Amino acid sequence: MIAREMFEKFKQRFGPLIERADLPSDRRLFVFVDRSVVKYVCQHIFRELDARYVITIGADDRPFSGKFLVAHNFAFDKDHLLCSVLTQLPADDPKIDSITDMVPAASWAEREMRDLVGIEPVGHRYLKRLVLPDGWPENNHPLRKDVPWNEVPVEFDPDREFRFDEPPEGCTVVPFGPFHPTLDEPAHFRLYVEGEMVRGCEYRGFMVHRGIEKLAESVMSYNDIPMLAERICGICGCVHNVAYVQAVEEAAVLKPPPRAEYIRTIMLELERLHSHLLWVGLACHIVGFDTLFMQSFRIREPIMWIAEKISGNRKTYALCVIGGVRWNITPEVKIELRQTLDKLETEWRAVVSAVSKDRNIQKRTWGVGVADKDLVKESGLIGPVARAAGVDIDCRRDHPYAAYDRVEFDVITEQGGDVWSRLLVRMKEVFESIRIIRQCLDKMEVGPLQLEIKDELPIGRMGLSSVEAPRGESHHFVITGENNRPRRWRVRAPTYQNLQAVPRMIKDQQIADMTISLGSIDPCFSCTDRLETIDLRSGVTKVWSQEELLKLTRAKKV
Amino acid sequence: MNMDRSMIWMTVAGVLNVGLVLLVAPFFQGVLRKVTARIQSRQGPPIPQPYFDLLKLLGKEDIESGESPVMQRFAVYLSLATVLTVACLLPMGFPAPMNGAGDVILLIYLLTLCGICTLLAGLAAGSTYSLVGISREMMSMITLEPQFAIAIIVGALHTHSFRLDTVLNGSVYAVDGFPFSGLIMLVVILMSFQAFVQRVPFDISEAETELMEGPLMEYSGPKLALFKYAHMAKLVIYSTLFVALFVPWGSEFAFPLGWLLFWAKVFVLVLLVTLVAATHARYRIDQAIRYFAGLVAVALVALVLASYGH
Repeated sequence: MIAREMFEKFKQRFGPLIERADLPSDRRLFVFVDRSVVKYVCQHIFRELDARYVITIGADDRPFSGKFLVAHNFAFDKDHLLCSVLTQLPADDPKIDSITDMVPAASWAEREMRDLVGIEPVGHRYLKRLVLPDGWPENNHPLRKDVPWNEVPVEFDPDREFRFDEPPEGCTVVPFGPFHPTLDEPAHFRLYVEGEMVRGCEYRGFMVHRGIEKLAESVMSYNDIPMLAERICGICGCVHNVAYVQAVEEAAVLKPPPRAEYIRTIMLELERLHSHLLWVGLACHIVGFDTLFMQSFRIREPIMWIAEKISGNRKTYALCVIGGVRWNITPEVKIELRQTLDKLETEWRAVVSAVSKDRNIQKRTWGVGVADKDLVKESGLIGPVARAAGVDIDCRRDHPYAAYDRVEFDVITEQGGDVWSRLLVRMKEVFESIRIIRQCLDKMEVGPLQLEIKDELPIGRMGLSSVEAPRGESHHFVITGENNRPRRWRVRAPTYQNLQAVPRMIKDQQIADMTISLGSIDPCFSCTDRLETIDLRSGVTKVWSQEELLKLTRAKKV
Repeated sequence: MNMDRSMIWMTVAGVLNVGLVLLVAPFFQGVLRKVTARIQSRQGPPIPQPYFDLLKLLGKEDIESGESPVMQRFAVYLSLATVLTVACLLPMGFPAPMNGAGDVILLIYLLTLCGICTLLAGLAAGSTYSLVGISREMMSMITLEPQFAIAIIVGALHTHSFRLDTVLNGSVYAVDGFPFSGLIMLVVILMSFQAFVQRVPFDISEAETELMEGPLMEYSGPKLALFKYAHMAKLVIYSTLFVALFVPWGSEFAFPLGWLLFWAKVFVLVLLVTLVAATHARYRIDQAIRYFAGLVAVALVALVLASYGH
């Protein structure tokens, strides 16, 4: 009855300014509040009730209700409750009080809402553009329903450059990116450096924002979107695939068959295995320990093979449809999977004992890139970063989904909050994943893989889904809609929150620690936009613009 | 007449030494890469691969880039030239060819010049990363260079001579009693050897994942080839220097045996370098400096001991 209790608490405190609520289950609460009070409700939830900030969502609801919609999502992890504070804004005045003064973690989400939906967060202290390209006109907001998905505004100026902030006095600027060999993905940190010490930094990302949400909301159908969702991330794609499907299933009140839930759990844990092994390898590479990098990639390879055997693909499993999964785990694969896990466990034990005794790695990671409990709370940090700081949260246990309520596992926490603790957390989580998969293989019952869905999905319903990705909680918000597709689908990948805390994690540290600090959140950006050709005969250099490249790829001929 | 003879002989032997270093340096690099690969459960490139790599780079277009291309070119030439000059001053299974042309003081100078070349290269490139790289290089040089210098001086003190052939023949142990200072210096140099040959855990100034090769980032084609060559040659030079100074035993045997033994010792040292590089993570500059500073302090103790004849 926790959802109802919570709602009663709000009503007592804020009275009639709480308009109405929707309590679809005991683990979800949607409260509609008046615009004037949203700031205080959020403050109450975040500070006094000590909830964790998840994300802020802006939606253009004008074609349906004539209003804009803003949702601030919070998680009560101990009470197993996800709560969404919704506010409707009039179409002619899309303004809302910024909550960043009380909830600093909302900074990016509000800036993104301003860029993409055109809802103004009043009182936000740093309203620099976040997502849209620099040459995009001010009054065009792509996520509004009256903007076609493929529109490029005529005022768009592809050559306009980004304006960086002024560095503080006495500091030199060390550009870290837009492309840096350690990240292999475009992201630009301008480090303000004094000698070898980093004093601050400015982040410029979203260089290849792909507009996946817009695409899903305007041209794809419910069952197409899972395939698009898993392409959000190059490593933990299955997480988005499952999270989206679960959000839709929740909105439409569908329950997939138990076997499908077990298979989802197994695939998610397989993904965590290969992701954590990859990360430990990369972390070693970053501090110059290439031998462990190579070894952990060798150990990781059989997991990719078994995933390929199950789904036909090493990664990007195309696992879910609404109401079920597409791949079965046959008895033969089951035997092979067990063998793979046994081998992995022995080999990983060897790696873990080598790493935990290595003084050299400890020296590079102890006390480096510290995120303490305070920062975890303020910035809404999640996943191994939070657990390494002693914050005991894990969506698999706190907001159970798939078959996680039927398996036993420990949530690994450490106290240091530094890179070393994150390393330990990830290394130990590998054993927990192995344990979970083994239990699933034991308990998995025979039965159908998909639910038969005869009717159209209901319209205008909301669904929330939090899935514990290898990097932290991946949160999806869906409002179901017409034409067999959602009205609004918002994805909050774990890096979105974790990355916001990097400037504070690297402040007053050495440049040498920058890469491992950033690496330790296991960041996940995305890829590529420009190319240069040189005519050897004339020596003329031509830089291909994004449009030309797009045209070239679509025309399929040079 | 006699004088001329010895001059010619000296030059020929010097060129032979230089040729030898140029010949074996990529081979040792190849061995290093192969062994590293095996430790990492990889196939690894064929052992002659570094020769091909150098040839390929040498055949590429020579691009002028960076802040001052002239200085860049100069730094590269100077770097390789210094290393090869050192080659003429070292015994490599035979007595040092240019024995009379210089003394150990010159040797110390030339070893420092190797580091200076990296500084020049980084300055000429002028990018932020290379500047950070050279500031690291400079900091580590200050604590690193004295160590080999002290080792050589300890030898010079024991033998009361600056002559190359006298000092570079296990001179650090040349005392009547137990060679305290010599053994201390052996340990000190062994512990910082990775830094002299710029390998993990002390490849700090080039750290690929932090500084994208630091001072070398503006180099490509033939210039990069020469720098890499100098880098590989450094491994050989420092290894021979170490063997001559600290592990001289067996060099007195007649030609094939003594010569083979000498190179076998160098080979073992290269394997040791490989092993350490493959099993360590990179240190941060402040950690490295603290480590070197401790070693310098120990080396100074050895120097005091040496001056009292121990």
